[in-house]
Amino acid sequence: MTDKMNFSDILASTLHDTKNSLGILFYNLEDIIAGCRGQECPSCIEFYKLQYEIKRLNNSLIRLLSLYKAEKSQLAVNIDYHSIRDILEDVSIQHEALLNAKGIAIEIDCDSALFWALDRNLIAGVLDNIINNCFRYTKEKVKISSYTEDGYLVMRVEDDGPGYPSSMLFNEKNNPQFKKGIDFQTGGTGLGIYFSVMASSMHVNNGKRGFISITNGGALNGGVFSIYIP
Amino acid sequence: MAINNKHDHKKEINLRRKKILIVDDFLNFRLTLKNMIHSLGVLYLDDARNGEDAIRKMAARKYDVILCDYNLGEGKSGQQVLEEGKYRGYINYSSIFIMVTAENSFEMIMSAAEYQPDDYLIKPFAKEILEKKIKDLIERKEELKAIDTALSAENYSEAVQLCDDMIKKSPRNLAEVLKLKGEILLKKGAYKEAAEFYNKMVLMGNVSWVMIGRGRTALMMGQYSKAKDIFEGIIEKNDKIMSAYDYLTETLLKMNDHQAAQEVMMNAVSISPRAILRQKNLGDIAYRNEDYSIAENAYKATVAQGKYSCFKSPSDYTNLAKTLVQLDSPEEGLDVLADARQVFPEDREAKLHVSLTESYVYKKMDMNDNAARAMNEAQRILENSGGKIPSNLKLELARTYLINGEKEKGEEIIRHIIRENHDSNATLDNVRMVFRETGMVDQGRKIIEDVKDEIFSLNNAGVKLAQDGKLSEAIAYFEKAVLQLPENKIINANTAQVLMLFMKENGIDEQLLTDVKVYLDRVRKADENFKDLPMLLAMYNELIPERL
Repeated sequence: MTDKMNFSDILASTLHDTKNSLGILFYNLEDIIAGCRGQECPSCIEFYKLQYEIKRLNNSLIRLLSLYKAEKSQLAVNIDYHSIRDILEDVSIQHEALLNAKGIAIEIDCDSALFWALDRNLIAGVLDNIINNCFRYTKEKVKISSYTEDGYLVMRVEDDGPGYPSSMLFNEKNNPQFKKGIDFQTGGTGLGIYFSVMASSMHVNNGKRGFISITNGGALNGGVFSIYIP
Repeated sequence: MAINNKHDHKKEINLRRKKILIVDDFLNFRLTLKNMIHSLGVLYLDDARNGEDAIRKMAARKYDVILCDYNLGEGKSGQQVLEEGKYRGYINYSSIFIMVTAENSFEMIMSAAEYQPDDYLIKPFAKEILEKKIKDLIERKEELKAIDTALSAENYSEAVQLCDDMIKKSPRNLAEVLKLKGEILLKKGAYKEAAEFYNKMVLMGNVSWVMIGRGRTALMMGQYSKAKDIFEGIIEKNDKIMSAYDYLTETLLKMNDHQAAQEVMMNAVSISPRAILRQKNLGDIAYRNEDYSIAENAYKATVAQGKYSCFKSPSDYTNLAKTLVQLDSPEEGLDVLADARQVFPEDREAKLHVSLTESYVYKKMDMNDNAARAMNEAQRILENSGGKIPSNLKLELARTYLINGEKEKGEEIIRHIIRENHDSNATLDNVRMVFRETGMVDQGRKIIEDVKDEIFSLNNAGVKLAQDGKLSEAIAYFEKAVLQLPENKIINANTAQVLMLFMKENGIDEQLLTDVKVYLDRVRKADENFKDLPMLLAMYNELIPERL
């Protein structure tokens, strides 16, 4: 008889496999889009929608794998100094084509001399997820900005959409009990927030811990997602 | 504040003439990536389906950009491709190596700094991000070119100055420049400046290379308990920063705490088992500690991981064989040595090494004829290669002589080893091991003491001349001594020191300065963390004229 495998290990290895297939799907679609982009092909926007869903799935899998690793204490934080503008540009470039195809402009507001110590991949993962969601919820414009405030680096994603539903609004500082309130029934959203909270709180400096906040309003009068890194 | 999405500073970078290599085991990924890269205007593009294929292609052609998947299935991993490429010189400073991973993986921070890729890309990525990364990296490398040139010319002051100039402009790669500056200060031997630099940087956050840099500075300055505290603190905060374990082990060995050193390495390999050099180190430490079952596991892991690694060496097999002898499994030891012959078929040094160890194993099995035959084979190989003994095999040869009853030959080699390394705890421990293995513990202790005394008095006589103000005589004395003992750390250090004292009084002499450099380089090579090195390098830095 073989040893019984741990279910979470089976899950993780399946996730890996699924992720590889998704990657191939993503690239095949990328080839198709590259072929039809310049030709006013009516299906182009449909392909983009497909790509958006693939990215959503991929982000979910990345989050799941990260959470699995955190559970097994295999997730390591890799803190280094980074140009924040560079990170925002990376994230923006990843999504530009997709958002532009739907008539959504993406704008960066960040001093090029802004540097901070953080785990680039974790934070980019959080931003990727938020910005990908803009494809569905934003009307014309999404703005990513960053600045410092009270010894924290703030990275903010604002859109001109309908804003977050009231059940999702929270601010860890104002409402320390918020974790209990996360509604996992809302599907991916709950997990997305859980991951954002985990990623931000893995940043500790000078006795302070990172956190996130979700509000409505802001510069574009839509949803406002902020992550604070000490 | 500027609102701007475009990256105009990179417009002039053209990828047409760049040679690019793609390494991925999935045909589908390779094809897509090829399309993507062709659409960036690249004309020259190769692809490899596995690590072995990649190394072959890199040997034949110099690539500007290598995009390599981390997980390549059976065979070499992406990390091993990077290590071997650097090790063999296929990847140099100007080449760009991007590691492609399926996810945010913690292996990313596990590899040693010198074997880290220029950047990572997480699959799937858009064409635009690939273009940005490649252009960014090309630009970064070009910006750092002047520093690299100054470094190759060992012009450290100029290199530091160039770093400072760049830091003032806070470029995108600020972190990289800061990191480089710290490294250069340590290389230059400017330990006080390095300590100040890292202490200032620590205020900016828990960046691992900054904390490691602080610890290394303390270690190099001989502040061992401070270094120990720093490295332990790093591990406490983040137990995945593997280089902290390596430096902590080095520190503990300096403090002569071999048991603690072994425990640190054991923790490290339990967190990150796939690290051949660390397994090797654990094996060595455990073997010296006579903890043979730990040594066995570590050496077995070393042999297994060596299969696709450029770091595999015959000593992985001979060490395992010697350990198996201690564990009363000499037959298994012989099997391991037979494997070594298969793995290194054309390597003369490997053959020598294996024969020497075989002789030892047979002797331990009381198979005297076989032992003698293996020793004769070793001697034949030695004669065929001109009689010169590779320095890492001297002790192996001595062991074989001693155990086969050729005491005089064996002792002569050992005396020579002690003369050259009378100050090195690690080497003396290895010598003691050989005496233990050959049943000569008491005799061995006396030999070690005698030879150490001999070198002490040789050295002290020279130091006395210098202290008595007879500097010219001291120079003549040490220059003669260093000819006889070209590898001895203390003799080299003192020769350098008397020459520098002489120049301080009588002015710079270019030839003498070059000699000093040679002696100091030997000291550094023998022991990067030698306690007098900071003082000597400070003297040297004061003497050399600024070459800007």
